[in-house]
Amino acid sequence: MSFRRVSIAFSFFTFSLYAVLIASLFYFFRGNTLLETLASERMMFSVRLSIFAATVSTLLSIIIAVPSAFALSRYEFRGRTVVDTILELPMIVSPAALGAMLLIFFNNPAGQWMQEHWTQFVFTSYGIVLAQFVTICGVSTRLIKAAMDEIPIRYEAVARTLGASPARAFLTITLPLSKRGIYAACILSWAKALGEFGATITIAGSMAMKTETLPIAIFMKLSSAEIEGTVVLILILLSIGLGILYHVRLISGRASYA
Amino acid sequence: MLEVHALSVTAGDFLLSDVALSVQQSSCHVILGPTGSGKTLLLESVIGLRKPDKGKVLLNGNDITCLPIEKRKLSYVPQDLALFPHMTVRENILYPIRIRGSSQDVQSGMLLELVDSLGIRSILDRRIGNLSGGERQRTALARAVVSGCKHLVLDEPLSALHESLKKELWYLLKDLQRRYDLAILMVTHDLEEAFFLGDTMSIIIDGRLHQQGRKREIYGQPQSMEVARFLGIGNLFPAKIDPPTGNCLSVCCEELGTTLRVSTYRKKSAVTEDNEFVVGIRSEDVLILRPGEVLPNPCNIIEGTVLDVLETGGSFTIVAACGNQSKNMEIALRRPTLNGLSLVRGQSILIHLPEDNLFLFDSYPLRTGT
Repeated sequence: MSFRRVSIAFSFFTFSLYAVLIASLFYFFRGNTLLETLASERMMFSVRLSIFAATVSTLLSIIIAVPSAFALSRYEFRGRTVVDTILELPMIVSPAALGAMLLIFFNNPAGQWMQEHWTQFVFTSYGIVLAQFVTICGVSTRLIKAAMDEIPIRYEAVARTLGASPARAFLTITLPLSKRGIYAACILSWAKALGEFGATITIAGSMAMKTETLPIAIFMKLSSAEIEGTVVLILILLSIGLGILYHVRLISGRASYA
Repeated sequence: MLEVHALSVTAGDFLLSDVALSVQQSSCHVILGPTGSGKTLLLESVIGLRKPDKGKVLLNGNDITCLPIEKRKLSYVPQDLALFPHMTVRENILYPIRIRGSSQDVQSGMLLELVDSLGIRSILDRRIGNLSGGERQRTALARAVVSGCKHLVLDEPLSALHESLKKELWYLLKDLQRRYDLAILMVTHDLEEAFFLGDTMSIIIDGRLHQQGRKREIYGQPQSMEVARFLGIGNLFPAKIDPPTGNCLSVCCEELGTTLRVSTYRKKSAVTEDNEFVVGIRSEDVLILRPGEVLPNPCNIIEGTVLDVLETGGSFTIVAACGNQSKNMEIALRRPTLNGLSLVRGQSILIHLPEDNLFLFDSYPLRTGT
């Protein structure tokens, strides 16, 4: 068997693993449960909240991640290694611990002052966005930095000799060239935010029609042993997530310079 | 005029020290040196990519050492050309005009004139990924020229091209230089390219400026062993110098088993205590005497044996053993000359080393390096 076939077989093994898990859901799938769920105002609120929160937290994280990634990729500065290391925090701390850290922060004087004078995060939808943002910001920065590291610094140097300021060189050269990396960061961050559970439930709780995202709704259904309802919610989450990711990937895949 | 005064710059453990040079308007100054000698480091300091430890860079008399890159008015073409891959050829060439906000009319007029002279009008709407090596070079040159800067800084921009295309671009670069009155500071390690394009030259070896001057001076009078070696003078032999008499020096060369006469102006350094020097001659300056040929001034003639006859394109290199045979002599001959001599391996020959073509250098690098 050729190396090509072996490597393709491994990729199909990974696909099969997930395909079997998805297929097994249909053992408990009931059409009328799906219809009831789609008609349920509570469930549709969860769907809307999940999509909205994931989109907002992704946008916020990309806005912060792009300039941060550029700084980490291009400049030497004091504390650069510390900043670079702490980006891994969401990967080394469990989501529940991350949520707990947020909760503890908002019980400190600084956090309490923020909640009193700015906005309430604990047990609100703002808390959901914050929990997702904290979870994905480091990952987005890391992914975009990797994309920017691949772009030769000479492009910016040449752009500057041709009259562009550092900001103009960034906007006209580095940013368009890291477009695919930014797409990838958006896709993965959004997907991670959509499925985020641990940090979200810790800081925002699980209040129906208020802070109940799809992953939290799935957890609640499972807690009350409603397997059929759980299956339907999982399928809805999968359809939204995979559908959007697939289409974004198709669009970004066309952005080639060759 | 672009000037560099006593520039020193460090990169890791490497130090480029005390380099000074100037590039006159409408001329090309070539920085020549082996790989890793600090040529690119020097260019990067000139364009502002690296901060020098000391020294100054002046443009038309104004100190630009501390100016940001975009304010220096030096167009830079790096070795990899750095054409922007997300743009077409047209967008690449017009980038400096777009950045400076010039009008569309100026853009069209300037672009058409330039692309016609470079022969790239038909590829203006192509993506960079779809260009050949030569088209990429032309696009990079067009972009650098269209920026309006009168000073071009080129870092081995033709190094990746094959010979015929490279030579075609030499002519194009010369034409651009004359047409747009450009001052060019260029780095290369290609001797032929340097002598074709350069009006003046600096030779940098191991981070130190070894020689500077007009190209004829550099070729005719290499001032050190390192320069001689870099310029391809392979025939270098240790020698002891006798006190000068008249216009000539006598040097005793044990490896060649003879005493050679050398014109005094060829001696580039003071006589040291041990009087140890190296005598050198270009392979193309060595002559092989025809059987029975008698010279009017029969000196510097040594006996040798042909070890090999190597064909190197249009010419031949004869490798001959001379003297104690510890080092061979290389002799370059054109085909007609070789045909006239009918040389074969093992043949005994008489070799003439004309005194005006012999160089004398301090012996230190040869003793330690070979």
